[in-house]
Amino acid sequence: MKKTRIAVLVAALSAAVFISSGLIRAADTNFPIYFPDSKLVVKADVMNRTVYLPLREIVGHMALPYTDSISLETLTIRSGNNRLVVTRNSSLISYNDQIIVLPSPMLRDNDRWLAPIEFLTLGLTRLTGMEFRYRSGASRIFAGNVAAPELEMNAQTLGPITRLTIRCAVPINLVARRDDPTKAILSIDRAPLDPARERFDHRDRLLHSVAFDDSDGESKIVLDIVREVSEVRVTPADNNKVFFVDLLRAGELVTAAPPAAEPPVAAARPDVLPAERKVRVIVIDPGHGGMDTGARTPAAAEKDLTLALARKLRTALQTRLGATVLLTRDSDITLDNEARSAVANNNQANLLISLHAGYSANKTESGSSVFVMKEDFGDTFAPAAVARDQLFLPWYLGYRMHRGGSTAAATILQQELAKGVPGWNFPIRTGRLAVLSSATMPALLLEIGNLNNTTIMQALMDNGFQTRLVSAIVDAVQHFSESPQAAAN
Amino acid sequence: MPRHITIGLITLGVGFAVALGFFVDVVGRVQSLMKNDHESAENPFKAPAKPLYAPTDPPLNVKIFFPAESGDPILAAEDQTIFKSGELGNRAKQILQKLQEGPHADKMFPSLPKDTKVQDLFISEQGTAFIDFSDAIATNHPGGVLNELATIYSIVDSLTYNLPEIKQVKILIGGVEKETLAGHCLLLLPLDMDLSITNVMPREEKTALLR
Repeated sequence: MKKTRIAVLVAALSAAVFISSGLIRAADTNFPIYFPDSKLVVKADVMNRTVYLPLREIVGHMALPYTDSISLETLTIRSGNNRLVVTRNSSLISYNDQIIVLPSPMLRDNDRWLAPIEFLTLGLTRLTGMEFRYRSGASRIFAGNVAAPELEMNAQTLGPITRLTIRCAVPINLVARRDDPTKAILSIDRAPLDPARERFDHRDRLLHSVAFDDSDGESKIVLDIVREVSEVRVTPADNNKVFFVDLLRAGELVTAAPPAAEPPVAAARPDVLPAERKVRVIVIDPGHGGMDTGARTPAAAEKDLTLALARKLRTALQTRLGATVLLTRDSDITLDNEARSAVANNNQANLLISLHAGYSANKTESGSSVFVMKEDFGDTFAPAAVARDQLFLPWYLGYRMHRGGSTAAATILQQELAKGVPGWNFPIRTGRLAVLSSATMPALLLEIGNLNNTTIMQALMDNGFQTRLVSAIVDAVQHFSESPQAAAN
Repeated sequence: MPRHITIGLITLGVGFAVALGFFVDVVGRVQSLMKNDHESAENPFKAPAKPLYAPTDPPLNVKIFFPAESGDPILAAEDQTIFKSGELGNRAKQILQKLQEGPHADKMFPSLPKDTKVQDLFISEQGTAFIDFSDAIATNHPGGVLNELATIYSIVDSLTYNLPEIKQVKILIGGVEKETLAGHCLLLLPLDMDLSITNVMPREEKTALLR
């Protein structure tokens, strides 16, 4: 009998725990609020997927008079002649006797008033006129006109090293520190900052994850790394607006890297490359790959053709121009378009060339074109973002910054191809192309031939023709590099 | 066996039997519900129960865009006739049918890949036509940037040029949003009419010239 009772009790308890854990998840997180001239770090509770902030601390910091009525279970906040009244366990608040509905109720727990985060914009902004900005999922709030420069973090595996690229809208100072063998902390001398991503996982052999942390009001980036990382090397660029943080592994000195890995290592120190050449880093994107074969005929698939051409082009650009050339893929793998432009963006490339082969139902058509992004793409969807010149745009508007450069590069390429491959016509066309839309440098897509035309296909497979084609593209890159439109990133 | 345990076991047994009964009943109901859903979901795939136009509807001359043989411009218009049915959606469906049938002229090519079907069509109040194509439009597409543009803009231009109520076209594939059709052209945002790649002038310019 006693055993049965215990069993029932245990079952009831575990059921209660199960139910309550689903409904309420109380977690204490430090939540900094940045005011124009001060900052306040409060402890936030996350309950039922809503972020709750301690109201009296915030109101106290803003020096607003308030009355906490225990008998009425209300809190009245005043500012001038205006009055805001909140009631315990109610999502209705009253502002000068006008009712405002909050998405979640106000809570009062052991003398602490807890307000859902929306209370700041719905209630306090009305009372004080101070705006509160909060990015959903982030654990920080910007109040009033406090300047919060945007911060972007990206990680990439480059041969033996792992590179983290940190980009900020304003110049910053970044210092690397390593107290724990599996953690590296990059302290930034500026707060507040507004990171585009709070944290992300990278998971290669050196780096596990990257997280932005300002829970104590000081900005820092925490890298979760493996013990084998021997050096965290920080290289500033672009007047301290960009930092390359390279993770190196013990015993694998960069100089001892195998020859095949040298180009990425050269890319690791862009500041030592010749500065006079404007096009220093070129990213070539062999179209399609892996499961995505692209256009295909029984004799050839577009993905193989583009990779072969891209490898030839890499060798030619390296030997003739001494440029750093990166391929978005160097094997038969599937990549999405965003990952392709990300390779160019993260490596501060000065030019992106995407290689494709065409296909037309019409067997007689030559089918070649040089594509650039359509000029007004996205205008109607993000007019606000287009009007403001800001560091962060919707991803598909990245092409805007360098559309002029893209067109100039396309024109030069068209001229060189006309000289180098006579008889072939490469009209310049525009389109809303996924791989070009988010590239933040001059970018173009070269579509060569029509795989449905046997003569053209044989030419494309021919080594001599490929060499002439590649040579024409290298000439074009060289001319573009000397042109005023080649913007040094 | 002590008496209270026997009673307890019997109660448990009865409770279990009742629960099982409820469970079987609920499973049966869910299954019948799913069956109904399935049948109703099947309907759009079959031939439409209602005709797309009534016999009394007046004819409407339309231009259907197909890839041109010359390749420049990319698309050429072919004059065809549909019926001006009262519902805008039905007019749009007739145009898509014409696209599926392909061109009659020799110097043009079909724009939709083999076996492409229109699974659903919906036109929002803002004039965005959402068209759900079957997976065949992507899987049977032969590829090529220009070819992909031709497929997409033959749909967009045929609809927006002939039905001014349709301002934009959003293409869905197999019921979901896809980044691209064959790896090149972004489909994530709705597409506007682009007559610059066709041999047809925009309507406003044409009327201006006539005056």
